[in-house]
Amino acid sequence: MDHREPNESRRHFLAGIAGAGALTALGEAASLREALAQAAAAPAAPPGIVPNDAIKAGKVPAMQYHSERPITGSVPAHEHDFEFTPTDRVFIRNNLLTPDLDINALRLTLKGLVDKELTFSVAELQKAFQVVSMAGMLECAGSGRTNYQPRASGTPWGPTGGMSCPVWTGVRLKDVLAAAGLKGNAAHVAGQGGDPGAIATAAPVIRSIPMAKAMDENTLIAWGMNGAALPKIHGYPLRLVVPGWVGSASTKWLHTLTALDAPFKGTYMTGSYIVPKWPVKPGEKMPPDNVSTQAWPVKSMITWPAPDQELKGTERITVRGKAWVGEGSVDREDISFDEGITWHRARLERERDKYAWRTFTYEYTPQRFGHVTFLARATDDRGNVQPITPYWNPLGYFWNGLHRVGVMIVPA
Amino acid sequence: MSRPEAIRAAALAAALCCGGAFAQDERLISGPGSTLTENKCKICHELQHIRRAQLSPGEWADNLRNMKERGTPMTDEEMRVILEYLAVYFNRENPAPAPSADTLAAGGDDPVQKLLNANACNGCHAVDKRIVGPSFREVAAKYAGDRDAPARLVTKIRGGGQGVWGAVPMPPNPALPEAELQRIAAWVLDQK
Repeated sequence: MDHREPNESRRHFLAGIAGAGALTALGEAASLREALAQAAAAPAAPPGIVPNDAIKAGKVPAMQYHSERPITGSVPAHEHDFEFTPTDRVFIRNNLLTPDLDINALRLTLKGLVDKELTFSVAELQKAFQVVSMAGMLECAGSGRTNYQPRASGTPWGPTGGMSCPVWTGVRLKDVLAAAGLKGNAAHVAGQGGDPGAIATAAPVIRSIPMAKAMDENTLIAWGMNGAALPKIHGYPLRLVVPGWVGSASTKWLHTLTALDAPFKGTYMTGSYIVPKWPVKPGEKMPPDNVSTQAWPVKSMITWPAPDQELKGTERITVRGKAWVGEGSVDREDISFDEGITWHRARLERERDKYAWRTFTYEYTPQRFGHVTFLARATDDRGNVQPITPYWNPLGYFWNGLHRVGVMIVPA
Repeated sequence: MSRPEAIRAAALAAALCCGGAFAQDERLISGPGSTLTENKCKICHELQHIRRAQLSPGEWADNLRNMKERGTPMTDEEMRVILEYLAVYFNRENPAPAPSADTLAAGGDDPVQKLLNANACNGCHAVDKRIVGPSFREVAAKYAGDRDAPARLVTKIRGGGQGVWGAVPMPPNPALPEAELQRIAAWVLDQK
């Protein structure tokens, strides 16, 4: 196989757009300031930027946008009532702007603690490694943030906003790492994307994951979503898919992977996507003793009925929903229709892929007219149960409280 | 600018700026430091990100440090002013005081400085140094001796652009009235 180096101008182009030079510098412990200066010194020609209107054209009208700069959006729970998330309903969360990249020009570089640096075009990746498809959960760390009291800063994801489970197509990260050969002290892998900021000083978006997760057979370098190319907003041409973990681990517009001996030190690792090591009193600031966010705790949502629906009291109602957990598996789902006094076991569909959500159903026979609320509660294989109120944390991450949907039961 | 470049600049300007949908997003509650806060924060994100956050002063300090790490060009003194403003007007623990004059806005009653502040020009430009974009002095020098300079600069401020001074695009200012555009352009060209 031909692992040609990208030409010089292309290299400068990548260095310029996202400070590709910054990764080595930062990974090898130079200061952020030096790295930024280095990135800024490279000839900068930014990629085209995809306007928000073009992104929205690929989404259903039900998508709610929480901000435009950077763009973020999600659909409510009842818009997830599909086996897997259709592309036009997959949530949007950018840190910077949306680059318009060329699939033929993009090169993926592997470097750092590897036996040999490798560079692949997308076509080369597709030819050189086994291609896999799997459904996998991605959820923004701040999904459900608006449920926290007091309110934490950040994207105001609604009670169930900011998660999706589409079908991904790509190659296994572990196969690609094996081709480069990992050195004995390689313990983390950092992904860097080509999304540019509004200004040249914008820090590049770089996140690292521990080697065990990088070597998981479900961690992919993906180019496909639901059988088609990734949409530009979701990382075209290439992205990482680190299923079950906070969405920011799944670097979009991926162009560089660096094997490191320690977690990457940069603002998206140490300033954001962190939680206190020990829970703090609600309203307190982030303590110095904090940890980077990784796998989501067990969680579930009701996808049917929709809130405030009117349902006939004479008919059985099939309550449907999804349950998932970042690592492990969902073991049971319970439904309550009396505000949590009694719980009833729902039927869980077979798990299709390890990191996919599982559909649950519960047949409910109305016992009276009037307003009824359904509560959903998942339990994982380690006995973890969704709490009534998750631990508060300053950046509002990991909300996995109970989803509650109210409907009206009316005479036929 | 070639045609593809022009298209790219226009798309970027649209992605950056936003137009009418954000007209209501232009200002924060007026108070000491509000203008500087608007100028710095608007470079990368909408002001609604601030408006909907009610944080403790300690959390604002963390938040500002994080924004500086992410690349916001601001000095320690500017950070101090912004923190003081946010901790007073967007504080979870105390209700915001009534709006008051931004006594810290550069230029005070100077009509041109008011325009530069109100349109966030000062977030990216200063008279004699580069922040994000070129200094006003550099702009004036570039147009020196050009008879059409005022009209060309008006077009530039209204439409934004990219590529002349570097890759970072300048967002357009389509809502600025012609008279105000001319006033700003004349002042900038005077900064030789």
